Amino acid sequence: MILRVLKLQAYPAAMNMAIDEALIESIGKGESPPTLRCYTWKPSAVSIGYFQSLQEEVDLQACKQKNVEIVRRITGGGAVFHDQELTYSIILPDSLVPKDILASYQFLCQALVNTFQKLGLHAQFVPINDILITNQKISGNAQTRRNNCVLQHGTILLDIDVDTMFSLLKVPDEKMKGKIISHIKERVTSIHNQLKRRINSEEIVSILINEFANLLNLSFQEGVLTDKELKRAEELKRIKYLNNDWTGKK
Amino acid sequence: MKAIYKVQGGKLIKVDLTLENNKIKKINITGDFFCHPEEKFEQIEKRLKDTTFEKGFILKKINEVVHQHQLTLVGVSSQDLAETISQAK
Repeated sequence: MILRVLKLQAYPAAMNMAIDEALIESIGKGESPPTLRCYTWKPSAVSIGYFQSLQEEVDLQACKQKNVEIVRRITGGGAVFHDQELTYSIILPDSLVPKDILASYQFLCQALVNTFQKLGLHAQFVPINDILITNQKISGNAQTRRNNCVLQHGTILLDIDVDTMFSLLKVPDEKMKGKIISHIKERVTSIHNQLKRRINSEEIVSILINEFANLLNLSFQEGVLTDKELKRAEELKRIKYLNNDWTGKK
Repeated sequence: MKAIYKVQGGKLIKVDLTLENNKIKKINITGDFFCHPEEKFEQIEKRLKDTTFEKGFILKKINEVVHQHQLTLVGVSSQDLAETISQAK
C-alpha cells in the first residue's frame, strides 16, 4: 500500500472541504489509496465545527467586509480562522490507526510533533486534539470516521493575527472579549513566533510527508485527484458546502 | 432559555431551548465537541423533545440515544450534556 501525496494547493473554503469529503468517500470505497493533502485557503476563511452555531460563532458581516469565506466542516471542534497557516488532511483506512479515537489523535499527531521536532521545535501532543509548544497551541486537529475510514485534518500556524481573528469570530461574552483576546494571545503561537524567521511552506510539507509515511510505514508517491474525485468534490462544493442549508444548519 | 458550560479538560457546550408545561419543546445543542458518527447527534435533540425538564429524565433519554446509535462523544459526556441542558435559564 502506498501513501498518495497531493501537491500543496490553495483553494476556496468550500472546495477545500469538498475535496476532503470526496477523498473519504473514494478511499472508503477502496477506489483510492491512503492520501495526504496539504493545502491553504484562498481567500482566507473561517471554518466552524460540525456542531457549532454559525450565528453564535461568526460575525457574518465582518467576514463579508473582509472577504473572508465561511464553511462548516464535517468534523467537530471549534471555529478556525484559516489565514497564515498550512492545513493538512490525512485520509486512511481505520485499520491503520488505533481504534480508540483519543489514541488515534495521539497516533496521527505524532507525525506533526515529529515535524515540529525536525524544525527544531519541541512540541507535544496534548489531549484531546492539540499540539502545544511550551504551553502554547500551534496546531489544532479534528477527526471524522465513516466508511471504515478516518479523516483527520488540522492546522499548522505559520503566523497569527489574533486581533483580526477576533474581528471575525464571536465570543460567548462580548463584555469579556478584551480579556479573552489577551488570554488567546498568550496561549497561541506560530512557526514564525517560535523560529523568529519565516519558513517556506513547501519545506514544512516535505518534512510532514516523510513523517506521515514513516509513522504509517508506507512509502509515499506524488499523485493527483482522480477525475471521479474531482467531479465529486465539485458536486459536494455546489450542493453542500456552498449551500446555506449546510453552513447554517445550526 | 440558554446555558453554556465548559467541560473541565474538555469542550464547550451551548444549549438553547424552549419549554412548554415544563417539557422541552425545542432544543438546539451546539459547541466545539466531537460526536461520532456526527449525523446521529441530532437524534439526541429529537429524542429530548417532550422530555420533562429535569436532569434525570434528560440524561436517561441521552443515554438511550447514545446506546441505540452507538455514539462516541469526545470532549463531553452524556452527563455533561444533561447537566448543561438542565441548567438552562
